[in-house]
Amino acid sequence: MTERFEIPARLRNTSLALIAVGVLVLILGGVTMLGGHDHHDKTRFWLVLLQNSVFFLLLSVASVFIQAAASLAQGGWIVAYKRVPEAIGANVWVFGLIAGAILIFIATGFSVDGHNTIYHWVHPEGDRILEGKKAFLNKEMFIGFTIVTIALWSFFGRKFRALSLAQENAPKNSTKVYWTMFKWSAGFLLVYALTQMSTTPWLWIMSIDAHWYSTMFSWYTFASAFVSGMSVILLFVVFLKNNGNLELVTKEHIHDLGKFMFAFSVFWTYVWFAQYMLIWYSNIPEETTYFKMRQHGPYSLIWYSVFIINFIMPILILMARPSKRNYFTVTFMAMVIIFGHWLDFYIMTMPGPLGKHWHLGWYELGIFMGFAGLLIFVVSNTLTKSSLVPGNHPLLKEAMLHQS
Amino acid sequence: MHLKYESFVREPLVDGDKTYHQVTEDIISPIEKKPGRMWYVGFFFSVALLLLGVFSVTWEVYYGIGVWGINRTVGWGWDITNFVWWVGIGHAGTLISAILLLFRQGWRTGVNRAAEAMTIFAVMCAGQFPIFHMGRVWDGFFVLPYPNSRGPLWPNFNSALLWDVFAISTYFTVSLLFWYSGLIPDFATVRDRAKTKLRKRLYGLASFGWTGTAKNWQRHEALSLVLAGLSTPLVLSVHTIVSFDFATSVIPGWHTTIFPPYFVAGAIFSGFAMVQTLLIVCRKILGLEDYITIGHLEAMNKVIVLTGSIVGVAYLTELFMSWYSGVLYEQEAFKWRILGPYWWSYWAMMTCNVVSPQLFWFKKLRRNVPFTFIMSIVVNIGMWFERFVIIVTSLYRDYLPGSWTYYSPTWPEIGFYLGTFGLFFTCFFLFAKYFPVIAVAEIKFVLKTSGENYKKKMETIDAKSAEEFKHELDHAHH
Repeated sequence: MTERFEIPARLRNTSLALIAVGVLVLILGGVTMLGGHDHHDKTRFWLVLLQNSVFFLLLSVASVFIQAAASLAQGGWIVAYKRVPEAIGANVWVFGLIAGAILIFIATGFSVDGHNTIYHWVHPEGDRILEGKKAFLNKEMFIGFTIVTIALWSFFGRKFRALSLAQENAPKNSTKVYWTMFKWSAGFLLVYALTQMSTTPWLWIMSIDAHWYSTMFSWYTFASAFVSGMSVILLFVVFLKNNGNLELVTKEHIHDLGKFMFAFSVFWTYVWFAQYMLIWYSNIPEETTYFKMRQHGPYSLIWYSVFIINFIMPILILMARPSKRNYFTVTFMAMVIIFGHWLDFYIMTMPGPLGKHWHLGWYELGIFMGFAGLLIFVVSNTLTKSSLVPGNHPLLKEAMLHQS
Repeated sequence: MHLKYESFVREPLVDGDKTYHQVTEDIISPIEKKPGRMWYVGFFFSVALLLLGVFSVTWEVYYGIGVWGINRTVGWGWDITNFVWWVGIGHAGTLISAILLLFRQGWRTGVNRAAEAMTIFAVMCAGQFPIFHMGRVWDGFFVLPYPNSRGPLWPNFNSALLWDVFAISTYFTVSLLFWYSGLIPDFATVRDRAKTKLRKRLYGLASFGWTGTAKNWQRHEALSLVLAGLSTPLVLSVHTIVSFDFATSVIPGWHTTIFPPYFVAGAIFSGFAMVQTLLIVCRKILGLEDYITIGHLEAMNKVIVLTGSIVGVAYLTELFMSWYSGVLYEQEAFKWRILGPYWWSYWAMMTCNVVSPQLFWFKKLRRNVPFTFIMSIVVNIGMWFERFVIIVTSLYRDYLPGSWTYYSPTWPEIGFYLGTFGLFFTCFFLFAKYFPVIAVAEIKFVLKTSGENYKKKMETIDAKSAEEFKHELDHAHH
């Protein structure tokens, strides 16, 4: 069973237009912000790039994670549209390269009048707390972790797709590749545990507020990235379905993705709230300062919006069964969730370096559009390169029968 | 009609050549027979332990909480350690009945009944500890917000300890309802087969007059769905709130944001280990190897290695952050935890919970019954030490070196703990004798998709190409 996908002209043009907006905004931003004299503008230029590149990287790695999780749990439900997370995962390297370059530049080359306004820990001298963290927060460690992490993620993203393609050419009903994939998935889980679930968010994001710390932070970042990643998968599936592809996908499969969006929105809220509540409750100034700035300070509007968009909306709208089976509702909610978690990443990154000088304007949205365009462009390109049905997959027939 | 098909890549959930009747026969007949000698030995041993517990608790209530080893510095010792340990064990039942139901995991049908029973008994054991830790236990009702009879004195609604009262009692109620509602059709089956008047009468009462009509089933399904919906957040909420008992404080070693999900993962970890311990024995004694297959044990071992590793990541995160925080007290707390006089408890925890479960990465070991049995006990030893480490080693080095202490339990504390084992196993033995330990109706539900004999007949479907299969499916719909 094969099914080919050809990129419709409209999709290609949209993605190219979005990329063009991104590039244009980047150039404009470079000229006006880096060329200007405002310190905050220089910080803003790089910080927005950091926020977006990391957000899109973590969100695409979520696709690799869901493949590994489904393979280990022997989930049949995902097989009908497995090629979508595979295509996203196979392009992790694109976002990895971009994010890696930006992160390493910020840690090594970025400075405003001799100060690194984003990663203060680059110059810990004179700051006793940062000096104490020097064994972990230093350039070499940062570069090493960044390169190794991104290389591993990119490798697994491509490996999983390659294995899935190998299954197509394997003898009928052969399970050799299936079990090989099972083993690689276990390996990926280990890698993911030591990167996304622990060290990576500490280094890339939490160290922006270098004095502050929270043990929950990486799991909370994971929840944010994962629910956005599932929403991106849903958007591709719905698009393909509307385009007349993915014949095997029915409302049952859409319902499943809706459940994931719902469940992990609630999970995000759980970890988000637990982190917030425990810090609020203990009321230790070194810790509450982080939320003081966000909840009561100049970011309070965004802070409350994040909560409403990422929790109140999904729980009210996605709770009912019919809404998870309605193409319009799930598509709308996927966009809402992606935007909401992009805002969540915004509020993780901006307040430390920018304080009250924050912007949510043409530059922030333009860069977001650029990355979104790039995602659409590369993923749809990869989708054309193989059949949309993972032929010969041992669970394919179950996926056809699937009832949510 | 939905086509009964399951991929050849999955192993059968019910082994052997089974019909609906055979399933009933296999699971219900042990209830109708006299139990073997081992059952009596086990049962009376459990009752003896339970009596030891009653004696220890009576001693404590009579002479006061001073007979325990806890002191001003270590105010929580074995009591709260045991409380958290038992509550944690309870989690597997709820996870299996609610979350695995949502994830459509067919293998839950073989183990859910016993796991849910275990949950209820474990929560019963857990509840004893905070109650008797109160000392003046006759004032225990003060934990409930009971209006106007005590003047202005109300429970502190800002206290995580009060949240616990609600969390645990809700959890117990919903788990009990879930378990019992599932039992109703099975009780009716026992009733319908009963050869003695008394049995017919008692199981008839227990089955609430179930007749198995379509309407009965329809209401039953609706109720199950509602209860599953209620239980899902409970899987997370109970141990989250237990973790709040510690994490809302400002005590180094307790105040850490990762506690809620990490406690939940640990609870599932220990709960599955306890399910393994019990079911490996049950399947052997009751001859249920066809229903609780090696595949079931392997699936649970996978959950154990996953949750064990999650817990491992959390331990290391905590340890790393204590250093990274730059807070002297956090750093010291962990130094004393790992290298202080209680070092053995920390290393016991690390070895049993993080290191040894990693052996389950090997398929051979996941499918090895004796090894699984030993590991299931090792895990629960480790999880007991986890709670001991969190509680005692965070407290024993106080801010003031003058208050430093070393805590050891006294005999009433140990007797109390052993007593809860007595309670747990007394209940479990009674359950295994009088209740169907496997959900008969639910096994029948998966039999035609996942039974070994039925799966053999699916070979013709497996031989079809995907196109053919799709074509036939579309055809069947018209």
